[in-house]
Amino acid sequence: MYIELHSRSAFSFLEGASLPEELVAVCANLAMPAMAMLDRDGLYSSPRFHLAAKKAKIKAHIGAEITCAALPPSLSGQFRLPLLVASRAGYQNLCRLITKMKLWVGRKEGASAEDADFIEHADGLICLTGGEEGPLAAALRQAGPQAACEAVRRLTEIFGRANVYVELQRHYHRDEEYRNRVAIQIAEALQLPLLATNGVNYASPRERELADAFTALRHHRTLATAGRLLARNAERSLKSPAGMRALFADVPQAITNTLELSSRLEFALNDLGYEFPRYPVPEGETMMSFLRERTREGWQSRYGRADAELKKRARRQIERELNLIDHLKLAGYFLIVWDIVRYCREQKILVQGRGSAANSAVCYSLGITAVDPIGMELLFERFLSEERGEWPDIDLDLPSGGERERVIQHVYQRYGQRGAAMTANVITYRNRMAAREMGKAMGFDDDTLKRISAAVATWEFKDEHDALDRRLCDAGLDLKHPRIRKYFELCLAARDLPRHLGQHSGGMVICEGRLDSVVPLEPASMPGRVVVQWDKEDCADMGIIKVDLLGLGMMAALKDSLELIRDHYHEDVDLAHLPAEDPVVYSTLQKADTVGMFQVESRAQMACLPRLMPKKFYDIVVQVAIIRPGPIVGNMVNPFLKRRQGREDVTYPHPSLETVLGRTLGVPLFQEQLLRMAMITANFTGGEAEELRRAMGFKRSEARMKVIEEKLRAGMTRNGILGETQEQIIQAITSFALYGFPESHAASFALIAYASAYLKCHYLAAFTAALLNNQPMGFYHPATIVKDAQRHGLKMLPMDVTRSDWKCSLEAVASGQLLVASKGNDFAGKNIAVRLGLKYARGLREPGGQALVRERSLAPFASIQDLARRVPELRKDELTTLAEIGALNSVASGQSSVASERQNLKLHRRDALWQVERAVRWSGPLLDELPEDELPEIGEGSPLAAMTDEERLVADFRATGLTVGPHPMQYRRAEMKKMGIIRACDLAHLPNGRRLRIGGCVIARQRPGTAKGMMFMSLEDETGIANAIFSPDLLQKNRVLLISERFVMIEGILQNQDNVIHIRAEKVSPLRVTKAETVSHDFH
Amino acid sequence: MFACIFIPDFSVQAIVRFEPELRGRSVAVLGGGRPPLEKVVALNERARQSGVEVGATKSQLEAWENLVLRARSESQESSAHAALLDCVQSFSPEVEDTSPGIVLLNLAGLEPLLGPLPKIASNLSQHVSQLGLEAYIAMAANPDAALLAARGLPGVTLIPEGREAERLGNLPVDVLLESFSSTFSSGFSSFPSDVEQAARWSETLDRWGIRKLRALAALPEVPVSERLGQQGIRLQQLARGAVQRNLRVWEPQLIFAESVELEHPIVLLEPLAFLLNRMLEQLCARLSARALAAQELRLELKLSASQVNDDASFAETPTYKLAGKIDQKFTRTLSLPTPMLDARVFLKLLQLDLQAHLPGAPIVKIDLSAQPARPRALQSGLFQPVFPEPEKLELTLARIAGIVGEGRVGSVELLDTHREGGFAMRHFAPVEPALKLRTKVKSSGNRKKDEENMSMQGNEKTCELAESHAENIKINGEEKMSAVIALRLFRPPLVASVTVREAKPVQLCCLDREDIAGEIVWTAGPWRSSGDWSEQEGWSREEWDIAVSSDNEQLVLYRLVQDRLSGKWFVEGMYD
Repeated sequence: MYIELHSRSAFSFLEGASLPEELVAVCANLAMPAMAMLDRDGLYSSPRFHLAAKKAKIKAHIGAEITCAALPPSLSGQFRLPLLVASRAGYQNLCRLITKMKLWVGRKEGASAEDADFIEHADGLICLTGGEEGPLAAALRQAGPQAACEAVRRLTEIFGRANVYVELQRHYHRDEEYRNRVAIQIAEALQLPLLATNGVNYASPRERELADAFTALRHHRTLATAGRLLARNAERSLKSPAGMRALFADVPQAITNTLELSSRLEFALNDLGYEFPRYPVPEGETMMSFLRERTREGWQSRYGRADAELKKRARRQIERELNLIDHLKLAGYFLIVWDIVRYCREQKILVQGRGSAANSAVCYSLGITAVDPIGMELLFERFLSEERGEWPDIDLDLPSGGERERVIQHVYQRYGQRGAAMTANVITYRNRMAAREMGKAMGFDDDTLKRISAAVATWEFKDEHDALDRRLCDAGLDLKHPRIRKYFELCLAARDLPRHLGQHSGGMVICEGRLDSVVPLEPASMPGRVVVQWDKEDCADMGIIKVDLLGLGMMAALKDSLELIRDHYHEDVDLAHLPAEDPVVYSTLQKADTVGMFQVESRAQMACLPRLMPKKFYDIVVQVAIIRPGPIVGNMVNPFLKRRQGREDVTYPHPSLETVLGRTLGVPLFQEQLLRMAMITANFTGGEAEELRRAMGFKRSEARMKVIEEKLRAGMTRNGILGETQEQIIQAITSFALYGFPESHAASFALIAYASAYLKCHYLAAFTAALLNNQPMGFYHPATIVKDAQRHGLKMLPMDVTRSDWKCSLEAVASGQLLVASKGNDFAGKNIAVRLGLKYARGLREPGGQALVRERSLAPFASIQDLARRVPELRKDELTTLAEIGALNSVASGQSSVASERQNLKLHRRDALWQVERAVRWSGPLLDELPEDELPEIGEGSPLAAMTDEERLVADFRATGLTVGPHPMQYRRAEMKKMGIIRACDLAHLPNGRRLRIGGCVIARQRPGTAKGMMFMSLEDETGIANAIFSPDLLQKNRVLLISERFVMIEGILQNQDNVIHIRAEKVSPLRVTKAETVSHDFH
Repeated sequence: MFACIFIPDFSVQAIVRFEPELRGRSVAVLGGGRPPLEKVVALNERARQSGVEVGATKSQLEAWENLVLRARSESQESSAHAALLDCVQSFSPEVEDTSPGIVLLNLAGLEPLLGPLPKIASNLSQHVSQLGLEAYIAMAANPDAALLAARGLPGVTLIPEGREAERLGNLPVDVLLESFSSTFSSGFSSFPSDVEQAARWSETLDRWGIRKLRALAALPEVPVSERLGQQGIRLQQLARGAVQRNLRVWEPQLIFAESVELEHPIVLLEPLAFLLNRMLEQLCARLSARALAAQELRLELKLSASQVNDDASFAETPTYKLAGKIDQKFTRTLSLPTPMLDARVFLKLLQLDLQAHLPGAPIVKIDLSAQPARPRALQSGLFQPVFPEPEKLELTLARIAGIVGEGRVGSVELLDTHREGGFAMRHFAPVEPALKLRTKVKSSGNRKKDEENMSMQGNEKTCELAESHAENIKINGEEKMSAVIALRLFRPPLVASVTVREAKPVQLCCLDREDIAGEIVWTAGPWRSSGDWSEQEGWSREEWDIAVSSDNEQLVLYRLVQDRLSGKWFVEGMYD
């Protein structure tokens, strides 16, 4: 028997070429009872390795190869020391050692440990002398056998004689054999045991090619120029025990020692010793009593004015939850989250819990969530269950940007830099990255790489045309050529392998004591942050509690809106107390007039809104949840809508489900409903139901689903639910295969959706400015948001250096001149317009923009020359951009914008460009010393002709990505009319089934995975947005045109049903409207 | 007056000139990138109209059925350009070789000789067309106006003096910027332009809405100079067609060639050497008169048609049909490592070369030409070791090559590969020590100081290195000496037949050498290596060190190799 004790996975980034699961599978096939994983400078793969091994009933030994320098001091350069974890103390030491090494250097690359680090952290670790990168080989290479012996002796001093094994590897190299002979002599001399390993880099020999490609990438070479950096042969795969025994027939003890060493490695990863931090409570209190008290206070304020029945139910539920929390010893966790929320409230940072936490009445009472789970009858088990033995998961939504960062830094400060960290996000090779990097390894030129990147489509829906080989053909590569074929194979092999570690967007883990004893930490690229070496899923699998502090663009927009409303409308709007059931909001939603509104603005949502006709808050909850892959694929959307419209009878798969499905008219839409269905029909416990949820989640596994399905069937049979009814219920549950929303989460989102709709309807100017200031977010590009707001009567003012701030701002417009109003609401006549902020000038850096605003506040700019002189931070290209979009027009005349408008002195953009060119030119030493007022005047005006409409459009889109002037289609309307193109706003008045033509600017393309290959395209003209649907055939025929053209004309059949308007496209052709580079938001 | 001849789509036309059957078809020229990643770098009008674009790859072009693809040929381009230069020289003695596919000529005073300008233009057009090229021709009072007109206006254009601005006014600004970024970046004209500068101007003018030369010309001069500087003014003058300059007159390359036609064919090398000697002395005298030396010698022998040998080595040389007989040309080129000027050495080198490569037929004509170059400086550093004279070294190398064969003498350069015996042969041309020292010292960073102490320090460094090396040897000497073993390689390796038992070779039989055979009594290995899997020439091999008992019961050690792709065995070498 033999056990492989030195292998690397693909988590030794760019070194190993197999996933830990693949290595474990091969190991299991070879009937090895255990295996050790030693990734480079980290325990990145440990959780996945541990879980895979557990499943395969293999013992997973943990370890790492540590890069070190100067051990012993006579050696120069870096080498790797393989360390195996023998005990929990050893594991903690290894974690700390890696953390120290990584954080000491302050960056991931080039980190190395030193002699003293090993002495400090040697306990519980077993050291191998390594392969060709080990200390023995390094010493032998540099200074001969004597030095090698010295190096090993030093290791015995550090780790103890009993904890050093002299490693032998045989990859059929001559040099290696020499090293092995020396190693055997050293082992004899120092009386150390020998240990055979294969220094595994991949599971099977065929992965050697990928490993070679990785080597080339790691050394920034190509396969052709990497020379001897590449492997000599393909022998670093997992080998069978028999093969290894034969290979080491001359030193059998090296093989038997692998078993002996394996038996010494007691530590397994399920023994992490992780503990969630205790919350400090006043003397005389326990965490539980403190939590009870805080919950009671919260209950009073939340349910104080509710009816007696609800109050009673709430009290009962809270008591039940508190008992469970007590039982599971989770009081500290709830208090810590409560503490974070309290901090946010104190700092006036908007915060709202989402996800399954919204199912908890305790969370609601503590102010963590804003949805009343009792009133909405949400399923508590979805959040917390005794059987599951898992930590609860509370996600907090915060405004994206600086405020979220403040909260994160608060958590760091409170729990110490080694006590809290962000979770990692493992970046894996997807088609595009694999194609690009493997192209680099093959030595393709930049131009070809760019072409490949552009061609490798990432639409969510994949058909046979989207296969990678097809995309490479589109990029002009000939797959019949052997070199390109090899390249293609490499791309396929690299897919899904990890590339490097990123930082998760918001997951934070906190620990009682030192987190670096539980998992190694490393610095994140963002200063002041550290990340753990495991991703979110791994942390959850290992039982580490995380709190998600997620940045939500819409939260930031809401917060900004409130501030703008306060400053300009002089009104204080409280999101927690918005008028419920506002008729304007519901009528706007019913008309699907939702551009910019949270979660209900997408094309699919817009197509659903007029059919669903939301009339109350719960309808918005349904609306948010219904357009998800789960309900769509499960064919639940149409039955629900038909039932709601009264076109179909409400029926239930089984009478017992009426209570669960009653609210959604007999159609399951939420995760909780499916869980409850399982609980009612098959007697699933809360924990079993949660198991079902996890099986349906992201890491969906067919095998797991099969087991659960059988369990479901058995349960239903026991309850007498048989035949078609059983099939129907099973179908409903299993077809909810893809991700769907839990009701609690949908309710949390619906609150934000309602708030955004309310602000848009009543405070359009503030909401639009806030949306523009928090881009990118949502479904539409800023250009579309601006046009939509203008169609609603908002005056958008162009960027002007005499008026604009860095962000978009609100401005009072001269009375009688303009009317700012949302259609049909009570905000008419307030004369507030949105001024485009300087941040929209592409290439203008923030320091320059801020300096400009600062200088302007001191004194107005007398001229462009004055501006260039007083704001030296602005570069020539930045000034040119400002001039090009007309932001310098007012200053060019040397008058204030109001005065220049009045006197008709305003100059055109080319005048400003003409002056900028002169103002930024150094006048030379002769004039450089002259006082400012003696400098020659640049003069007004220019010999240049003013820009045409088309030129202005091109300049606007090039430099800001949008225009506040007329829509490009407006200039061509007469021409379009002649072509028979119908305006978007006229479509609603035309009969269903009519053949017609529409045309406009493509603002969104979408090919969702749930739409059977259909592509959806939204076209915008000056009157609104029209939507078209393309069949896969039509898409394939016109692929290039549909993907690359900015303006198109579509001919097809109008579908006008229930106020949902689409064109079923039959023909498409490009439309020549403008050369302006309009942008489409393409969703893949 | 000046005339400009501009060949549009020059890369394509240069190819079509050699393949007239392509005329009238869509042609795209591929270049850049290693196969199969070449891209379209040029195309003709017909291809452009059919929708082909520059930058498309070969496989993207599969959709165009009638498109002809050709690789870019620099040699065809230079010969087309040379032909163009030859052609225009018959019109004017004053010619400017502006850039590939563009020439300018001064027509001043030629009207009485060649007729009125339209006639000259038409003759030019006719002559160029006879070369197989289609040209745009323009005539104007100054060279740059002619150049712009030729680039921007198809056919023949005649611009009367004083009407340049008017005629050029409609041309796009890009024509001006492209002309002067590509044409004058090589240092022609007083216009110090480059591609980046041209791109910047293009961007600025586009922003200003200046798209035609007329608009550029109309801008007021002083504000333009304030914004674009003197170069801007110059740009404007060019746009008005108002820049006067002289042509950079092209001088034909100096040709050093001697030729002898023989009344009686020569059949022996000795009389040939006698004639060659005379010709070489002439050549050397001419080179010496211009203070030049020869970098390359080219000998072309015309062989008698009736007695051409059937020697296989003649098969590759070009043949010409002449009055039913076949005339054969025999060409040898001697590239010299440094420019030389010694007729005796040249003669010896040619003799050695001809001895190794016999012409194989009587010689009827001898053409000998020398490629001129600046002569080598003889002075070398005070501390430099004596270096063999290049002439002598070259002679020695030529002698060795005559014995061992071409490509088998030179310096060995090891290739960075695991492939066994991966090396390349380079021509032996040792770097002069002074230069080597200088680069070494410069790379150490402290350039100025190091240059002062250059030679001294260099020597010290060498000494240090040598000492440390010696020390190393001393330290490890004992060990290494005991491990030293020599491997004599068989070149080429000997094909062997091997019996394998339990994955080990047990019996060896060498087909070419009967003495290498017998039972394998001891093995070490295998040692495996493989590589170049991403290329078509991938390889994989397994080595064994074996001991075979010989007839006299002595053990002999061999290196046995199996090519794992073909399965064949070879005895690669023998250990001493």
